[in-house]
Amino acid sequence: MSFDWMKIPYSLLTLFIVVNYGFLLNALIQKIGARVGRRHGIPIWQNYVDMIKNYGLRSSITHGVMFYLGPVFRLSGGVGLLLFVPTIYGSYMFSNLSFAGDLILALYFVFFGTLGMALGAGESGHPHAAIGITRGLSQMTAAELPFGLAVFSVALQYQTLSVTEIVAAQQGGILNWTLFTNPLAVTAAMLGFLGSMMRPPFDVVLAPQEIPIGPPTEYHSSYLALMQTNRAIFPVAKIVIYMNLFFGGADDWLTFCFKVFLIYLWSAFVGVVFPRFRVEQSIRWFLVWAVPLGVLSIVVV
Amino acid sequence: MAHLAMATGFLLILIGAWGALTNRNLLRMIVAFTIADTGVNLVIIAVGYMRGRTAPIIDGAVSAADAVTRIIDPVPQALVLTAIVIGVGVTALMLAYTYRLFEKKRSLDIRDYTDLKG
Amino acid sequence: MSALYIIAVGLGSAFVLGMLNERQKNLGYVITLAALTVMSAISAQWLIIFAATGAHPIDIFTAGTQPPFAINLRMGVIESALTLLISLTGLLSAIHMGNALVARGRRAMAVLVIAIMALCGIVLTRDIFNLFVFFELIVIATGGMVLLSDDERAVSAGFKYLIVSQFISVLLLIGIIFAYHATGTLNIDGMAEQGASAFALAFFLMFIAVIAELKPFPANGWALDIYESSHPGFSAIFSAATGTAVLFAVDKLLLIGGAEWFPVASGVGIVTFVGANLLALPQTNDRRLLGYSSIAQTGLILTVLGQQDILGQNYLFIAGGLLLAHAVAKAGLYWLSDLVASRQLTAWAALKERPLLVFAFVTFVAMLCGLPPFPGFYAKWELAHALAAEGRMAMLALILFGALLEAGYLFRWFGYLIKRESDEKVVCSATQAIPVFAAVIAGWVLGFVWGELSVTRFGLNNLLLTLPLLFALSFLLIEWAPAWLKNTVAIGGMVAFFVMTYAEYDPLRLIFAVIFLIGGAITLLASYSAHGRRVGFYPAAMLMYAGMIMLIRTTDSFGFFAAWELLTVGSYFLILRGKESEPHALSYILFSLGGAFLILAGFALAASAVPPAPTFSLANLAALTAPVAPWVFVLLAVGFMTKTAAIGVHIWLPGAHAEAETDVSPMVSGILLKAGLYGLFVLLMAMGKQQLFGIELTHALLWIAALTALLGNLMAIFQEDGKRLLAYSSIGQMGYAVFGLALMNHLGWLMALMFVINHYIYKAMLFLSVGGVAKRTGTRDMYKMGGLITLMPLSFIATLIGIIAVSGVPPLSGFGGRWIFYNAIMTSDVRMPMVILFLAGPIAFLYLFRLIYTIFLGQLKDEFRRVKEAPFWIVLPQMIYVALLMIFAVFPGIALRRVDEYLNQFFPEGGLGWSGNEITSAYGYWNPVSIMIIICVIFGVLLAWLMFVDRKAQKVKQFNIVFSAEAPYRPETTHFAWNFFAPYRKALGFLVLPLATMFWGTITGLLHTGADIARRFYTGNGQTYAFHFLLFVIVAYAIRIGF
Repeated sequence: MSFDWMKIPYSLLTLFIVVNYGFLLNALIQKIGARVGRRHGIPIWQNYVDMIKNYGLRSSITHGVMFYLGPVFRLSGGVGLLLFVPTIYGSYMFSNLSFAGDLILALYFVFFGTLGMALGAGESGHPHAAIGITRGLSQMTAAELPFGLAVFSVALQYQTLSVTEIVAAQQGGILNWTLFTNPLAVTAAMLGFLGSMMRPPFDVVLAPQEIPIGPPTEYHSSYLALMQTNRAIFPVAKIVIYMNLFFGGADDWLTFCFKVFLIYLWSAFVGVVFPRFRVEQSIRWFLVWAVPLGVLSIVVV
Repeated sequence: MAHLAMATGFLLILIGAWGALTNRNLLRMIVAFTIADTGVNLVIIAVGYMRGRTAPIIDGAVSAADAVTRIIDPVPQALVLTAIVIGVGVTALMLAYTYRLFEKKRSLDIRDYTDLKG
Repeated sequence: MSALYIIAVGLGSAFVLGMLNERQKNLGYVITLAALTVMSAISAQWLIIFAATGAHPIDIFTAGTQPPFAINLRMGVIESALTLLISLTGLLSAIHMGNALVARGRRAMAVLVIAIMALCGIVLTRDIFNLFVFFELIVIATGGMVLLSDDERAVSAGFKYLIVSQFISVLLLIGIIFAYHATGTLNIDGMAEQGASAFALAFFLMFIAVIAELKPFPANGWALDIYESSHPGFSAIFSAATGTAVLFAVDKLLLIGGAEWFPVASGVGIVTFVGANLLALPQTNDRRLLGYSSIAQTGLILTVLGQQDILGQNYLFIAGGLLLAHAVAKAGLYWLSDLVASRQLTAWAALKERPLLVFAFVTFVAMLCGLPPFPGFYAKWELAHALAAEGRMAMLALILFGALLEAGYLFRWFGYLIKRESDEKVVCSATQAIPVFAAVIAGWVLGFVWGELSVTRFGLNNLLLTLPLLFALSFLLIEWAPAWLKNTVAIGGMVAFFVMTYAEYDPLRLIFAVIFLIGGAITLLASYSAHGRRVGFYPAAMLMYAGMIMLIRTTDSFGFFAAWELLTVGSYFLILRGKESEPHALSYILFSLGGAFLILAGFALAASAVPPAPTFSLANLAALTAPVAPWVFVLLAVGFMTKTAAIGVHIWLPGAHAEAETDVSPMVSGILLKAGLYGLFVLLMAMGKQQLFGIELTHALLWIAALTALLGNLMAIFQEDGKRLLAYSSIGQMGYAVFGLALMNHLGWLMALMFVINHYIYKAMLFLSVGGVAKRTGTRDMYKMGGLITLMPLSFIATLIGIIAVSGVPPLSGFGGRWIFYNAIMTSDVRMPMVILFLAGPIAFLYLFRLIYTIFLGQLKDEFRRVKEAPFWIVLPQMIYVALLMIFAVFPGIALRRVDEYLNQFFPEGGLGWSGNEITSAYGYWNPVSIMIIICVIFGVLLAWLMFVDRKAQKVKQFNIVFSAEAPYRPETTHFAWNFFAPYRKALGFLVLPLATMFWGTITGLLHTGADIARRFYTGNGQTYAFHFLLFVIVAYAIRIGF
């Protein structure tokens, strides 16, 4: 695989589809959550409205260079993560920019946006932002661990680090999915997944129901628009990795939408049932419940 | 005779050692050491003694030719002389020290001179 | 001139002195000096004759008769060397004690001359009774010389000495007479012909009496009092000259006793060595401490005397090296102690204003500790090899343990000297300076001589002729120059040496050579920011670099070990320069020396199995087989891991790296740590996998490395001190590197090299930027800083690039290391340690974010509003590092491609494929150029978009934030920084309990407590000491019978 210029429009197409799908999906999941709580919830196009509003806001301030760059880092992280992984299996068009690197690249690029965002929020000087970041980073170290272990287990299982090859190995029937060939790894990964989706019980980082807190405290207008775009892309990009590694990937956009929705729903499903953990509780929870499964999956594979 | 002298010598050494270890008084310790020294000298003499021989003085009574068979071993006696001289020197030095110590603290008890320790 | 004149001149001048008028003091003094000079000259003349011609010893007969009917003396090469040592010590001490001697008058002078004469007599005589006479003369002379002191307590000390001497002479005399009775001769050689078995008890009495004159532990209280209270000039004689003479007397007696008495000497010697060093630990009085050290050193040499059955021809080389090092250094230190007014060790801080005196002190301490390039070093090397060759590992272990104790108190003392404050003035007159510097010169000359001897005898290397070391030492000569000039010379020298030797390195060593020399030169750029002369910095730094470059250039075990010690000592001096670094530098040197001793033991053990000893090509390690091989592996690996700060032996690192000066931290962290990794490389290249008790040792290494990575990272996140945070981070990073090595596959090693390069660049950079900030703000506590981004933008950029690289986030070079890591572990069959490493990975984000946020982001404090960017010379290397990091991130092949090929000879499989810009492994692929371009394009496009839609963004003031409808006004209460990861501590804090610190603390505590308890037996009562002596004799006899 190597670069050719056609990849650029194709990648932009992927991006376009995912952004729109992400907007709608986010609203849908939120609506489902609201309905469970006997509320009506937001309209499905709410995110588009928010985007327009945010871009339209006239007040715009900055706390400094890093603050300014924070959302750029954040969104670059999301876009990059999406584009470093092939979205549709077997499609040249939607293999994106995956020639640049394999699974490990995607795995580590996840942190690009996180780190940049944390730095940007840090420069705002708002203590709530810093507190949110410490919580987020602390929780991340524990939540990423079962996922990392599962990824390694899968890589060992298929003896490759290439996403395309991992998906290829799962073709030919649902029973070939990693979900069934390596259930321990998938379980561990799906538990870890809960920690990275910012939904209860692991949403103390953003604490969306309370007064503004968390990294984005000081962000507004077009900054927030950028971050909101990322909030549409990033979960999908992350779920794409899960889908490719554990659930046989997707041959076409329809399967793609379906699988992404179901995986996303898993976190919403858990989120509406459980109350919120404090950070140290969630760290312990991941270490006690999810990590051993991941370790086991590595030992067994 | 020789055995008796040797036994006496060792006894004196033991008495001297005992005295030096049990007496707190500096002067008494020095006396004890001279007793021990005497004991050592006695032992040396006793070791050199040979039954039925004469003193190792070569004169009219003993000619140089038959000295080897007639006199006792002269070496221990020579050693004793040296040892006595050295003993006197050390004793004198110790007495001088005692004088200095007494001048300083007006005490002859060894337990009073433990400024340096550990 | 006949050697008999030594005795004659001594006696004659003493008589002349006795006949002088009481007032002719100066004349007396001149006669004294002249006599001692003549005695020295005679000895020197004979030494030259023997050394030049290799002639046989000459016997000198007295009374016109052959022995045994008359006393005979013997002058040979050893005797001439020892009498020279003794009479020179006497001469220099006479110079040193000039005032005291002149004040006390002719009698004191006569006593001094007699003492030296008698000591020479002990060395020369071959008659046992004559030996006794000389001993008694020394007792009397000592009794007299003690009174030279101004210290009132010296009188009681002298009396205690006389009491015990009486007991000793009783035993000696009885022994002599019965030995005579059994053999019919008083001649030592005559007795030796007949052997001691016929008169074992008599021999025992003689032997133990002479040994008692060496002040064996624990029967030595009287001697310590003398050391403490008498005039330092005499203590020098008492330690250097008396010790020398008595040791030679023991050697003569061993000639009579034969091999069956060797164990007694060894036993008493080693107990003395360890015991006296232990008791020296809690001492606070300098002269008493030196007394303990003297006793310990004599014990060590006594041990060597007892080992002569296995030392063969090397016996003299070893015993002589140790003896001369001890005598010169100890005499020098006693003379030096006269310049210090108070007697506490801390009072020596007064010397620190005088660089020459500090240099003298360093020389002496290095000699005592057996550091290169002094004679003790070569002797230690030979001794260790001889012991290991005969399987006497327990003895070797005891010797090394004792040596470590000794290094402990000596270096602690040196720390006091450099770091403590003293308001006393040092007045150094010429008469006091001459002896001290004569000893210094003697020390270096002896180092050279022993180096030459080691070349001719063993084919070792004369370290004083190696270019890097000479370059380092030459900085001592230009200490007067300003720092910038020396810095230029240093940088020029390092670069020039690299250019000269560039072609000689294989690809692996080339990486290390570049880091050590070129990397070192870049780091030194920061040193241009220092002002003044910066005395002591350049010799130390260059010593460290010299050691490091010698380390990678050497191919044999001796060169490796010598280089290792040099770099250790150099870096110790560097670290000690930090403001608060005294305890940390001490713990650094102790762990390092402990590690070095393990390496020494490992090499010695290896040499016993792969000849040729005493030095072998490092590649020969491969020829080792079980059961020796795994032990060698363990010893060497643990030794190297003390330098890489593996968990358990890591506790020295945080303090040492954090407290070091701004431009020193990057050297000791970014560069020095690589020496340990290089050692592990060498070890694993040669020995590969080894098994001990069924355990695969590289697997054990994997576990240690993984735990090091995890705990190092965890401890880093809880630090409030920025440099400490970086130091703990180094521990973690070294864990990763060792892990890669221990994987024992192609990519694992490549990953380790990747970490070597990366860690050098980013840790040097981060230490410089944080150090620069600390310099400007005057604190290292990060929570006191905040918001410095606008004031110190360049430092911020360096830190930003640094943390992205450390964290392994693409597109910077840290990612390459992670990518190789994942590929490397794919082929490994050990999986559990990897889990730990997985856990360690994300934790790095926590401390990295904390580092950059609490310093540069958040709220700016009022007191720092006018802080300026770090000095130019501190920023410049950072910018170079930024550039290097970028280049290495995009083109890792520059450094790695050749090494990748080179590693094929060790691991033919599993290499990387390099096609164009893409790097492939058996499992995955990675294209650093594409990654960099893609990320930059995405980032650039989005930034442009934001700048378009947000072009009217308005910069607001610091407190303009949404703060619960209030405006905060105190940055201190708004900057969230202290105890940053409190939840994390709640969840996982139990993992960072300082168990290792507690463990080592308990061990040193136990040693000190034990020593304090043992001290109570030294009651200060002369009778108790006499009782100790008798008990010692009885116990020694009981053990002897038990043999």
